[in-house]
Amino acid sequence: MINAHRLTVRVLAAAVAVVGATALSGCVESNRPAEDAAGGSECPFEADPSVTSTVRIAYQNIPNGDLVVKDQKMLETCMPNAKITWNKFDSGGDVIQAFGSNSADIGLIGSSPATKALSAPLNIPMKVIWVHDVIGKAESLAVKDEAVTDIKQLKGKTIAVAFSSTAHYSLLQALQDAGMNPAADVKIVNLSPDKMPSAWEGGQIDAAWVWDPTLSELLGSGGHILVSSEDTAKAGKPTYDLGAATTSFIDANPAFMTAWAKAQNAAVQEINDKPDDASVSIGAVMGISPDDVKKQFAGYEYLPAKDQASADYLGGKMATDLEATAGFLLEQGGITAVSPPAVYAGGVDAKPAEAAAQ
Amino acid sequence: MTESTTTSPPAGAAPDPELGAREAQRRDTQERRRQLLRRMLVRIIALVVFLGVWWLVTSLQLIKPLYLPSPASVWHAFVLSNTDHPIAPGVDRMVKGEQNYYLWEHLIASLQRIGVGVGWAIIFGPILGFAMASFKPIATIIEPYLNFLRALPPLGYIGILIVWFGIGDTSKMWLLFLAAFPPITIATINGVRGVREERINGALSLGASRFQTITHVVLPSTLPEVISGIRIAVGFAWTTVVAAELNNGIPGIGGLAYLSGTELKTPLTIACIIVIGIAAILLDLAIKGVEKVLVPWRGKA
Repeated sequence: MINAHRLTVRVLAAAVAVVGATALSGCVESNRPAEDAAGGSECPFEADPSVTSTVRIAYQNIPNGDLVVKDQKMLETCMPNAKITWNKFDSGGDVIQAFGSNSADIGLIGSSPATKALSAPLNIPMKVIWVHDVIGKAESLAVKDEAVTDIKQLKGKTIAVAFSSTAHYSLLQALQDAGMNPAADVKIVNLSPDKMPSAWEGGQIDAAWVWDPTLSELLGSGGHILVSSEDTAKAGKPTYDLGAATTSFIDANPAFMTAWAKAQNAAVQEINDKPDDASVSIGAVMGISPDDVKKQFAGYEYLPAKDQASADYLGGKMATDLEATAGFLLEQGGITAVSPPAVYAGGVDAKPAEAAAQ
Repeated sequence: MTESTTTSPPAGAAPDPELGAREAQRRDTQERRRQLLRRMLVRIIALVVFLGVWWLVTSLQLIKPLYLPSPASVWHAFVLSNTDHPIAPGVDRMVKGEQNYYLWEHLIASLQRIGVGVGWAIIFGPILGFAMASFKPIATIIEPYLNFLRALPPLGYIGILIVWFGIGDTSKMWLLFLAAFPPITIATINGVRGVREERINGALSLGASRFQTITHVVLPSTLPEVISGIRIAVGFAWTTVVAAELNNGIPGIGGLAYLSGTELKTPLTIACIIVIGIAAILLDLAIKGVEKVLVPWRGKA
């Protein structure tokens, strides 16, 4: 029994040791850079060693230039003295949460989440600075019943979509354009893409507006595409994957923003001119084959900086697109108020794109 | 089987009581070993049958591979995730494991988080438990909050922890700590309250001081309960680890299981689940072993 006291002390000591050891050693560090990056150990433009910013980037596994920049370490080589960490996120909502909790400085979000961030109740001080891609056929409405060839025939059917995503926005726009009432004529259910195949197979949903890899999966099990986000974009309601950064970060790091936009522009050029190289980089990050990446390229449009800075995008129309999205989100209960037009105009910053275009 | 016949005592041997006792003991351990072997055999057969049925169902294509991949493809995913491999056949570019980490590194990253979260719980839980069991007012004040915290689903408040502590490891460790310390505290309280009054009085009447009764009677009697609480807490931490790693959970085995699920990589998801299960069992066995060493008096006092 005399040993008991010593034993208790030993247990406590062991616990302290375990805590201390694991906390200090950190044998598996987070955000470890890939060792075998594809070629690109050279900066595609003049490197800027004067930039010493500390940057936390929020990326998502969407096939666009952001992953080329990440994989080829463009930012790290072009700004050797900047401290850059890449964190992976699963949705725009999560990126906004990170902006709000000051855990990320710059990140990729869809146009719907971007609008949400700029509207009440969130009112997050951030700006849209880049268009990673314009969403086209990559997000499409897959329908199970072969007899359905017009969206009006979906009356009374169940359609799955991930709520407050860009696909959700496109779906509601397509239904409205076809003269249907999304609330009454069809049943729209909130489902994350990975749950859709089983619901599809089990006959619980008749259609889904979704992206890859789920879209290919649904098409492989007897579905066909009825309309796509390309169609809704042509009808005047485009959706985007955007680059956004917190206002305080943009104000404090103008040199970084310019170099960042130049790197993104180089990545866009690589996707458009050398898709074989770009698809390997993107495939390495996403963990899918380069061939699958190239197939997905066709579903997006990638804009060079010059086009982005123009009045069609960041230079003008983007603000009105965001405002239109806000009106839609308000109807759906995603936000509590549409901000004044000046907020959306101020929420877009074309300066980095302009600098990269020169 | 042949062994047992050779070691059985020859018929008509002199009845030496000491020899008989030793013989009985030997036979006893032999019997136990045979039982253990039989149990292992039954388990192995069950596993083989299970794998056979799994293989049969998938090779007959009764179920789509997306919902139930074959054992071979799960094994393939497991091997790929632990090696450097090209991103696709015929492509030069090599990648490391999954998401730039090997599977075992994902596991270690999660174990580190569990280690820190549960480690702090092991320090804080018993202290709070002793305080609550020894001083009535503390228990009166804290008990409702403890029960409140215990009932909360981790997924419900991970969002708040992220807003408070950021998306890094800190919020994950907090979540694991908050999940792990209530079971330890409650086990400690039960242990202290379960110490029989007469033992303390016995020690007191033999001249022990108040402090000595705590260190020599209460603490040793409570230790088995505390360790049981730790075992429950570690199990709880495993069930919480996926919730902790939903956001920015790479590297992390729970994060990888979730991520591969969202990307429809079912073989990898199943490989992760199997690895989590095996790691949890091994960790539990290790704690059981520690218990045997630290509190050999469990169930005997």
